Amino acid sequence: MTKLRQALAIVDWSGWLGAAIVVAMVGAAVLAPWIAPFDPVAVNIEDRLTAPDAVHWLGTDQAGRDVFSRILFGARASLAVGIGAVLIGGLIGVSAGIFAAYKGGLAELAVMRVVDAVASIPLLVWAIAIVGVLGVGPVQVGPLSLPNEVKIVVLVGCLFSPVFARVTHAVARRVVSADFVKARWLQGAGHWAIVTGDVLPNCLSPIIVQATLLVAIGIVVEASVSFVGLGVQPPAASWGTMLSDARNAIYSGEWWLPVFPGLAISITVVGFNLLGDAVRDLFDPRSEARTLVA
Amino acid sequence: MTAPLIDIQDLRVGFRAGGRRMVEAVRGISLAVRPGEAVGIVGESGSGKSLGMLAVMRLLAGGARITGGRILFDGEDLAAAPERRMAALRGRDIAMVFQDPQSSLNPALSIGRQIVDVVVAHQAVSRGRAAEIAVDALERVGIRDASARLGAYPHEFSGGMRQRVLIAMAIACRPRLLIADEPTTALDVTVQAQIVDLIAELRRDLGLAVLFISHNLQLVAEIVDRVVVLYGGKLVEDADVFAIEDSPRHPYTRLLKACVPSLTAPPGPLFAIDGAPPRLGAMPPGCPFAPRCPRALPRCAAEMPPLTVEDGRRLACWNPQ
Amino acid sequence: MSAPILSLSGVTKSYPRGGMLGSVFGARAPVLALDDVSLDVMAGDVVGIVGESGSGKSTLAQLAVGLTRPTAGTIRLGGEDLGLLMRDHAGPWRRRIQMAFQDSSSALNPRKSIGRCLEETLVLAGVDKAARPAEAAALLGRVGLGAEMLPRLPHELSGGQRQRVGLARALAMKPDVLIADEPVSALDVSLQAQVINLLGRLTGELGLTLLFISHDLALVRALCRRVIVMRKGRIVEEGPCLQVLESPRDDYTRLLLSAVPKGIEGRRRPPARTSNPEFPRP
Repeated sequence: MTKLRQALAIVDWSGWLGAAIVVAMVGAAVLAPWIAPFDPVAVNIEDRLTAPDAVHWLGTDQAGRDVFSRILFGARASLAVGIGAVLIGGLIGVSAGIFAAYKGGLAELAVMRVVDAVASIPLLVWAIAIVGVLGVGPVQVGPLSLPNEVKIVVLVGCLFSPVFARVTHAVARRVVSADFVKARWLQGAGHWAIVTGDVLPNCLSPIIVQATLLVAIGIVVEASVSFVGLGVQPPAASWGTMLSDARNAIYSGEWWLPVFPGLAISITVVGFNLLGDAVRDLFDPRSEARTLVA
Repeated sequence: MTAPLIDIQDLRVGFRAGGRRMVEAVRGISLAVRPGEAVGIVGESGSGKSLGMLAVMRLLAGGARITGGRILFDGEDLAAAPERRMAALRGRDIAMVFQDPQSSLNPALSIGRQIVDVVVAHQAVSRGRAAEIAVDALERVGIRDASARLGAYPHEFSGGMRQRVLIAMAIACRPRLLIADEPTTALDVTVQAQIVDLIAELRRDLGLAVLFISHNLQLVAEIVDRVVVLYGGKLVEDADVFAIEDSPRHPYTRLLKACVPSLTAPPGPLFAIDGAPPRLGAMPPGCPFAPRCPRALPRCAAEMPPLTVEDGRRLACWNPQ
Repeated sequence: MSAPILSLSGVTKSYPRGGMLGSVFGARAPVLALDDVSLDVMAGDVVGIVGESGSGKSTLAQLAVGLTRPTAGTIRLGGEDLGLLMRDHAGPWRRRIQMAFQDSSSALNPRKSIGRCLEETLVLAGVDKAARPAEAAALLGRVGLGAEMLPRLPHELSGGQRQRVGLARALAMKPDVLIADEPVSALDVSLQAQVINLLGRLTGELGLTLLFISHDLALVRALCRRVIVMRKGRIVEEGPCLQVLESPRDDYTRLLLSAVPKGIEGRRRPPARTSNPEFPRP
């Protein structure tokens, strides 16, 4: 416990700010049904386009829906896509990177060239193209009906995987050549035991850092895809669709419609980036002073 | 007695390790070097030898900083000198050679370019003249056909030759003090001997003062006039090299000499010092060597012995031999 | 005369220049790390292998434990072909040969406690679960460390302590042959002697066969009965340790000997060595 406290002592204010933003956003997403003052999809024509006031803190939109409630519910879509895509991309990319580094030789060459090929695909364009081709309706996989969001998550996850693969490969190569891995091999330890017990745990810190940064990118991708109408489908709330709906308001003066969803995206992205930087510092306790003395 | 070229007085270096606590790694070291004198600084890891000398060059990094004392170079206090003044002195009056010749050279620039850059930075000469100076310096360190090799890149040289290039760079501006920090540790044994001999030669020919930092007393004894032994951030003994070799008085110096394996001792178990050097931040209140010392008195663990001066030998021990 | 426990015959190891693609396209001649080396090590022998960087001494260590395969030649462990034995990755032959590494900070997994590191090894050595904690403590005792080290992480230990844990881990497999690759070159002088003496004691107590790889002739002299001098992937001289070091027959051995710092004695009797930089590098 004291060790944890010592480690946390090096996190500066920006790291704590990032952590606070991330916790707040995740909290908002999870608790949205309980803390949202209004139903996010309830249409109320009488109250349409009211400016922020004591009742509707962030105003209402063209259909009289409460902007604050919609932002809270929108956080669900944003975070689900960001985190879901990172989990899928991480699973694929980390496995590929570790496999390549551990196996070496031609297998390594082959895997990493495939990774390069996937990485050369322009991420956003493909996400839009594929959803465009498949349509925005639910996809039937056997007995399961997958909503459009799942498509986005899987797609973005696949497109994130090369990033994870490269980061993991770079660290894992170093770890695999360490003497403690050789020692395990000399003892006749199984490959699975070596990979999960010795290689992976020593690769985790850059992977976690990468993950927090990619969650932020995932949120932007979700907003972009929803903005062009291929993501979360109306009337459900998403920061991207809210921005899309607010396009006309920019000219007609209802400033709160584009500003608040935009702010939600920016603050969340900044939050994850700050958290990522702090996590990197946390996992890298080798200060220069220590190496000097050694 | 000539005035010292560099006079380090009660130097202290500390840094922040992990948390907020300040840990002192160099704990009050005083040391003077006269012009042309070669002094060996001997100590193990954690003795403060490298950190102390980096402090002299004002090259401390990573949160380490000078926390006390003065470093008088020609009467000027380097510990308080502005960074611009230090940049002018470094490489011109004081030069340093590091352990790893690999990381001390820029792999993307030819060695000629790197030496010329140093010369031009410190002397009002044209690049053409600087190139002549570079050729001179390279020839002096034993690189044949130097003018033809000015255009060569670091990777074209072996480790030992790279160290020669670095030494050439160090002496190009005719410094008065050369600090060599374990300059042979990363090299093969046969090359080590050549570099030691080269430093001895240069010192003789150029009248350089040399501070030779090493963990190897045997190696240092081959070329220096005086040996300073550090332990746990403190100076424990400082004497003429022959005095250190023939009649070391601090128990640590004696034991350190005894545990160096030799080619003449009868084969069999080596002499070993039990225990391990104290860890930074966990220094005993008294003499840092007391926990491992066979001659320790109760007093040794409680109170750091003062530095006494006798017959030109400085010694910090309650129970010397 | 008994059969050798470790035997190399005509072993050659070459690495492709320029990595994987270089070997595919065969752009340049490969680097010859070990060139037709033959060597027999008898059970209980303590052999020093001396050479500078590029001499092939570390390649030899890696080949002998099966970390890499020879390009040509055969290596036999207890009379059996190592290449064939290696088909069974976790076979009982593993117990016969183990290795201690140079860099103690890389030799131990930074995220595993000393106790976990040793117990994991004991699992593979076939020690019962119930007996493992006591065995781990006994191993530490054997290398001069207390059981209080068990819960610690490698970075909480000093370099000398980590090196001892590395030895304990190798001993946990109860090997017949131990290969130590520069085990003390990263240690402080005052700790070097401790580890060398420990190695000497262990070979005596356990009847261990030791291949001690080093660039330091004085250490080899203190520990080994036999010495092998290597240069450019070849054995240039071998024989009983004292005989070779006191009356070397090869010029390179003589050069190595002359390069050992003589300390103050060297100044009283100036050495007959040159600082010629153009001496052909190994």
